Formats: sequence, C-alpha cells, structure tokens
Amino acid sequence: MATATGSPVETGRPKLLDRWLKRRTRLDLPLTLAYRRIFILPTRFGWMLGLLMGAMLIGSLNFNNNLGLLTTFIVAATAINSMLLAFRNLNGLHLRHGAARPVHAGKPVPWRLTAVNHCERNRDGLRLKGPGPDAVFNVPARGVREVTIELDARGRGWHRPGRLRIETTQPLGLFRAWSWIEPTTPFLVWPQPAEHAPPLPEGGDAQSVQRRQAREEGEDFHSLRRWREGDPLHRIAWKASQRHQTLLSRQFRREQSREVFLSLERAPGRDLEERIRIVTAWILRAEAENRSWTLELGEERFGPDRSESHKHACMRALAEL
Amino acid sequence: MKQASTPLPFAPVAWTITAFVVAALPHLLAMPPLLGAVVVLLCGWRLLAAGKGWRPPPGWLRLLLTVGAIALLAVGFGGLWGRRAATGLLCLMLAAKMLELYRLRDLRMVASVSLFLIATQFLFDERLVYLAYLFGGVLITIGALLRIQLLELGQAVPRSGHLRIIRDAALMLLTALPVALILFVTFPRLAEPLWGLPDEVMDAKTGLSDSMSPGSIADLYIDDSAAFRAEFDGTPPPPERRYWRGPVLWHFDGDTWERAFLASRTPAAKVPPGPDDFLYTVQLEPHERRWLFALDYPVTTPDEAHISLDFQVTRRDPVTTLTEYRMRSNPGFTDMPQLPETLRRLALSLPEDRNPRTREMARQLRERFEDDRALIDHVLDWLREEPFYYSLQTAPLGRHGADEFLFDLRTGYCEYYASAFAVLMRAAGIPTRVVTGYQGGYWQEGGQYLLVRQSDAHAWVELWLAGSGWTRVDPTAAVSPARIQSGARVATGDATGLDWLRSLQYRYDRLQHLWNAWVLGFDADRQQSMMRFLGLPRLSSTGMALLMVSLLGLTILVLAWAWLKRPAGSRDPVQRAWIRLMRRMGRRGLGPVLGETPLAWAERVAPELAEGEKLHELTERYCRIRYGDCDDAGLREHFIEQSRKLSTDRVEPRRMASV
Repeated sequence: MATATGSPVETGRPKLLDRWLKRRTRLDLPLTLAYRRIFILPTRFGWMLGLLMGAMLIGSLNFNNNLGLLTTFIVAATAINSMLLAFRNLNGLHLRHGAARPVHAGKPVPWRLTAVNHCERNRDGLRLKGPGPDAVFNVPARGVREVTIELDARGRGWHRPGRLRIETTQPLGLFRAWSWIEPTTPFLVWPQPAEHAPPLPEGGDAQSVQRRQAREEGEDFHSLRRWREGDPLHRIAWKASQRHQTLLSRQFRREQSREVFLSLERAPGRDLEERIRIVTAWILRAEAENRSWTLELGEERFGPDRSESHKHACMRALAEL
Repeated sequence: MKQASTPLPFAPVAWTITAFVVAALPHLLAMPPLLGAVVVLLCGWRLLAAGKGWRPPPGWLRLLLTVGAIALLAVGFGGLWGRRAATGLLCLMLAAKMLELYRLRDLRMVASVSLFLIATQFLFDERLVYLAYLFGGVLITIGALLRIQLLELGQAVPRSGHLRIIRDAALMLLTALPVALILFVTFPRLAEPLWGLPDEVMDAKTGLSDSMSPGSIADLYIDDSAAFRAEFDGTPPPPERRYWRGPVLWHFDGDTWERAFLASRTPAAKVPPGPDDFLYTVQLEPHERRWLFALDYPVTTPDEAHISLDFQVTRRDPVTTLTEYRMRSNPGFTDMPQLPETLRRLALSLPEDRNPRTREMARQLRERFEDDRALIDHVLDWLREEPFYYSLQTAPLGRHGADEFLFDLRTGYCEYYASAFAVLMRAAGIPTRVVTGYQGGYWQEGGQYLLVRQSDAHAWVELWLAGSGWTRVDPTAAVSPARIQSGARVATGDATGLDWLRSLQYRYDRLQHLWNAWVLGFDADRQQSMMRFLGLPRLSSTGMALLMVSLLGLTILVLAWAWLKRPAGSRDPVQRAWIRLMRRMGRRGLGPVLGETPLAWAERVAPELAEGEKLHELTERYCRIRYGDCDDAGLREHFIEQSRKLSTDRVEPRRMASV
C-alpha cells in the first residue's frame, strides 16, 4: 500500500515551466550539475548595480569622459566575471542522496544530500533551499559534504522531497546561479503519535499471555554497579568486588513482565487516523517502558518483539496504511 | 537577510567604510573643510559603533543630523549648485547613511555607490595619477563586496582573511581587464552629447582669470601643473614668439583690469591664411572657463568657438574636460589698421584721480617725443636701465599702484610691469590694452610637443600704432629677457639644483601626454583611425557595436574555457597512477562502483582477475601511501611502476581447466 504522495514543495508553479524543465533535463538524483541544469540571473543587488552602471555609462558617454567609461567597463567586466564564477561554483558538482532517518509527522523532516566535489578548488557558499531554512555549506577541493535541510511533512506515508534548489551567489552576490533537483526516492514519515493516548491496553490474547508467563522467571543479568545501602546480600557480586576492592552489586534488568497486544481495530478513536495515532503513541510508550509488543493490523501481525527493527517495521506498516 | 536587531560585525563594516572613504577622498579634499570633517566624523562614529556594538541612534536624531548636514552643504557651497556641490551632496548622503547602516543590503548599497563616486571624480580631473585612484578604489570596493558576501553566508573568516580578500579582489580585477579594455576600445561613442552641461557657476580652479589686479595672485606662477600641450605641424615657433593669447583686458578702474563687453561680443575681422602660418593642435586641460588659447592671429576656429574683436577664442561651453582643438594662426596679420573712435576711447580711459606721478611722467614724455614709437622705445630703455627686478617675491600695491611700482617698488612680475606700463601708455595718449595668456613653454624633444604650464602664465600689453595696428609690447621682456627665453623659473633664479627632479617631471609629463592622447582623448575619431591602423574598414556605430559584441563574446568564451575546463588531474603521481589503473579496469567492466572504497573494490574484483593477488597487494599499498603516513619515495615509485604493469586480464576458467 505504499502510496507515494508527492508533497509539492512549491505549489502553484506554472505547469509550462515544469514541463519545460523536465524536458530539458533529468532532475532526479544522483546527478552532476552541468550547463543544461544551471540557470543564472542577477540578484536584486545585481539589478541595482546594473542600474547604477547604466547611469555611469550614460553620464560618461555624454560628457565623453573616458576615465568614467573605463570605470564603468571595469565594473561591468567584474560583474561578467562574477557571473562566470557563480556558474563555475555549481558546474561539475555531483549530488546524491544522503542517508535519511524517518521521523513522525508534524515535525520537520531532516533530509540529507551528499555533495561531491571532484575539482581541485573549493566550492564555497553553496546554499540548499527547501521549504524551511536554507542550509549553507562549502565543499572542499576533492571533498564530500553532507547537508541537511528540513522538509515539511504534513502527513504519514511516503513523500517525495519535491523540487529543491541548490544555489550560489558567489563571489560578489551579483548573480544567482541555481539548479533544480527533484529527487524521486521517497522518504517515510511515520504517523504522528496522539498527544493524550489512553493507557496501554493490559492483557491481550491468550497466546501472548502464555508466552509471557513462560518468561516470568527469567531475569537477565544486566550490569554491575557500586553497592548501595539496601541492596540485598544475594545481589552482591563477591568475585568482582574482590577484584575491584569495593563492593559491587549485580543489576538485573527485569524483563517487563507484561507484554502488550496492540490492535488497530480495537484501539479507541473516532476514525482510522486517530486510531493510528493512538497506536503509534502506544508503540512509543511500550518502547519507552521497555516492554515488547505485538501489533495487529487486520490480517497482519508484527511481533511480539521490542527491538528497534520491530519498531521500524510497525511504524512503516502504520505509515503505509 | 540580517535583521536590524543583530548588529553587523566589525570587519564587513570596516571594509565598506574604507571603500567609501577611499572613493570619496578626492571629493572630500575639494569640499569645504567643515563638510569633509562631518563626513569623516560620521564614518569614524560608525566604525566605533561597529567595534563596540552600539545601537543605531534614534530616528529623530538621524533626521536632525541629516537635515543639519544638508544645511551645512547649502551654506558651504554658498548656494552654488555645481557638480562639486552635487557630488558633495552624494558624499554627505552616504555619510548620513552611516547612521543607519545596520542591514546587509545597506552595506552593499554604500559599496556600490562608492563605485559611482569614483566615476564622478573623473568629471573634475582625469590626470594619469587618477588611474591609481581608479584601481585602488575599485579594488577595495570589490574586497568589500567579497567580505559582505562572506557575511551573508554567515561564515567565520580566519584571521588572515583580509589579505586573502585583497588577493581575491586583485585577481578579479585583473581578469576583468581584458573585457574592460575591449569595451573601452570598441564601445560606440556619442558624437554629440545627449544633454549639455548646465550653464552653472563653475567651481574655482587654478588658471587664468578674466581679470587682472597686480599682486592679487602669485600662486599661479609657482604652479607647475600643465595648462595645455601643443603639437605643431613642422617646427614650433621660437620662444620669443610663443605668446598664447587669452583674455584681453580693456577696462581699468585703478586696481583691476577687466574685459570689455563691447570688444568681447563683437566678431573679429577675418584673418586670411598666410605663408608662415603655424598649424598646431592644442590639448587644453580643463580650466572651467570658456576661452581657448591660440597664437596670434587665429585663422580658423574649432567648432563651437568664435573669435571676438580682440581675437579671443571663446567656446560656448566651459572647458570641463580635456579638450583637443586644431588651430591655424597667421603671425603676419595686421590687427585693425584703423581704430574706431569707440575703441580708441575705451583704450585710453584712465581713472582721473589715480597715479599722479605716472601721469606727470607721461606728460613730460609726450612733450619730448612726438612719435609714439620713439616714446615707447624710450620707456622700454628706461625700464631696462633703471634698477627694475623680475621677482615673484614682491609687495602688494596701494591706491596709486603704477606710481608705487614705477618709482618705489620696482620689483615684480609680469602683471606689475604690464599694468604699470599700460597706465603710463594710456596717460601718454597711446591706445593700450592688456593681454593675459601664457608665454613660452617647454619643448619636449622626446614627445615632440610643447608643454605649457600654469607657471608660464603671462601678461603683456598691446598698443595701437598708426600703420601697424595693434602691436604687442612686452615690458617684462625689457626687464628680464630670461623670462621670455627660458620661463619664470629661470628668470627668478629658482632653477638651481633638483635638475633630476625636473627632468623626472618632464618625463612624467610625456607619459601624461600619451595618456591624454590615447586614453582621455579616445573618441569616435580615434576609434576610426585605430580601425584604419588595424587595416579594418570604416565602421558605422552599428558596425562598431557588432564588432564589440563579437569580440566580447570571444573573450568571454576564452575566459569561460580557461575557468570551466574539466579539472586537471591530481598533482599527486600516486593518485594519478591509481586513477589510470581504475580507468583501465573500467574499460574491462571491472571499475569501482560509486562509493566503493578501494579495499572493498579489490575484494570484489580480485577473484575475477588473473593477477588478483597482485591487485590486493597494490591496493593495500595504495591505501598505506594515500591514507597512512608513509612518505617513502621508493615505495611510491614502486607502487607507480607496479600499477602500470598490473594486467587487467580476467581469469579464464575454461582454459585453466584444459591445462
């Protein structure tokens, strides 16, 4: 049921531009920025300086003032150079996916991009723009950098980052060179946990209770710690204490005696979304209390288990519903 | 964008203010001192504020200071709205901006307007030395923009960052030069200005004025800057004939000689071309006045100029930029064989109540000599024989100036002699006018031009004589022939020592001359003659524009190629050898996949290779050299050799089985 619900990062963009962009170049990662992908326009400051140069040009021409003209032309040539340099700063930069960690809906999703610089010169002042705050980064010569920006994730499920911009206004801030990227690899957003979820459902079905009792006796040895007043004598680890010249007592992590059985159908809540949120909150609580849980989603069952991978499997299943 | 709430750090503010101050420096020096002080103070305050993190002053205070500064400007320039006042206002507004310089874009604004200030300075002065100002100013402004850019990116700059910024800015400036020069040479020039200069009151400038009162200004005579340069077709005139005519003065009120409205507004007689005419081109330094200088007597006038009755060449607009004009002068012309009655009256009028001793002397002379010429010769002899001295160190004159000079002081320079002599002549009934201008000049053998400096300024007298019309008489020449032959500096005995310095000055002036001719005087005509020189056809301005665009495109392509070409391979020979090996393997389909480490790659590929063991060994060595701290030259060379030898042949199971 993996539905890739594209979350368009910039809505309302004219379709025509979209189509043109797509026809012009592939926007998916991994890619290497090259001339077809790089766009360049003056910044606001660039336009302002252009206007100023126009005034200088007309004034100098009118008074046939050659030194004034020379000044104007030097400034103009510097601007042209800065355009080339801005372009060069992006040209040849290789971009690929970074590792992503899933997060719950409602929080900004950190999304990572890896930038690889194959050149012998640094690329400074690059900027990755998403819907949130920009990430400014440098990639050293023959170096690799990971950049993280935050994406909005409105709901659970698979999302695409949408269209992102990588840009630079180096070296003078006169021109902005940018490239669009539109990674197609989706990222997962887990459901948002309910804020006021009811307590964990105690008990469960017969099978799980049996299994629970079988484990009741088991106490896992966990670690040693310095003896404190009140620790029972049978907890003292005599041999270890002798070695360390101080009293140590054994710590047992008590297996949470009660497993929980979480069923989406039996969860309270008005609609599916609310039930999903409540179950999500339960999973988090079970994890926090270090209890193992079983998740039942219709025909499917996950667990019982309390491992990290179990949690991921459950969350993913819930997200994909 | 930074909000006003976070104060800007010190370094970018300091860079921006430095750029502004450097750009404004010549403007500041030309301003009334109080205004300049206000600008410097505001900049200093802002620097301090940046260092100490002070808050911006409240709005009402800013407004008050700005209004106060503008009021100061209005008072300082005395209500004269000229270009100086306009650039002064610009400087002042930018300085006022310092009070609210709390956003990144304000910094950029100040930095870019500094570029504008640099360009406007050239409206006033375009001498060669200002090239240093141009490059220095632009360099620092680029540096400021680079520094502001770092601020926008929010990166901390290492302490040694300033030097690096200077280096980067210099590199940007250098690489900008080819494109700038192409633009400069090929950009179509306007033949006619789009709008003229407003008929404004010009700013004070050293140079001749249109009046003369002896003793009022001696500054001019010690000013060594160039007044104009003249190139002659053929040989230049000898020193005693180099009288460059400027304003001609008729009115005398007892203290000051002034021009006559009547004489300067009436057109002159047509001068026919003669056999001994001088043909020459004058490059006139801007002097903010309307007159041009010519030898006697101008036959042709440059465009937009007219010749008045007393042969002053006057232009419609003031000379505000370096101006080049072509002249032809006929020295053999007789000016005004008949003197009209109105002019005679004008040329004889003297204030009645001044200079009684001179009048008395004139009366006695008149009694002794019937003939004007004999009288003049006698007076010149008298000047020669009596102890008269030529000197710039002299005393001011009082109410009876001519009396005091002729009978008591007897020490002075050309203005003193011309004025007193003219008073004497008028008193004796000879129509007289005073001519100011330049006399002499230094012939630059190396550059083949005559350099006339401000210190060559001179005043002489013209007398109307029956038969020869207006005739030049130079009383200074009678007193000090050296002044006429060698210039004021030799005549005053000021030429001792420092000869090397002077020759350096002359050398520099030759550079300046080339600069004037090829940079400042580069106009549509020069553009075309350069095209001819390059063997290109004459181009219309559209053709010129096309040429410019194509040359520009070509240069930018070359620049782009130089900058954007694929990165050169690594400089490390080990790395190069490794990359070569990778490529060879890649051709066999055994190259590493993206992100595979060398060791992982060797692990994967070795079983498929005939020399798999060697690959393992090589890879390990590579990692030791590259990532370890092994720096043994022998090991490196061994690696390079082995990597070259490694075979890329695959294992061939079938053949092996058959063996």
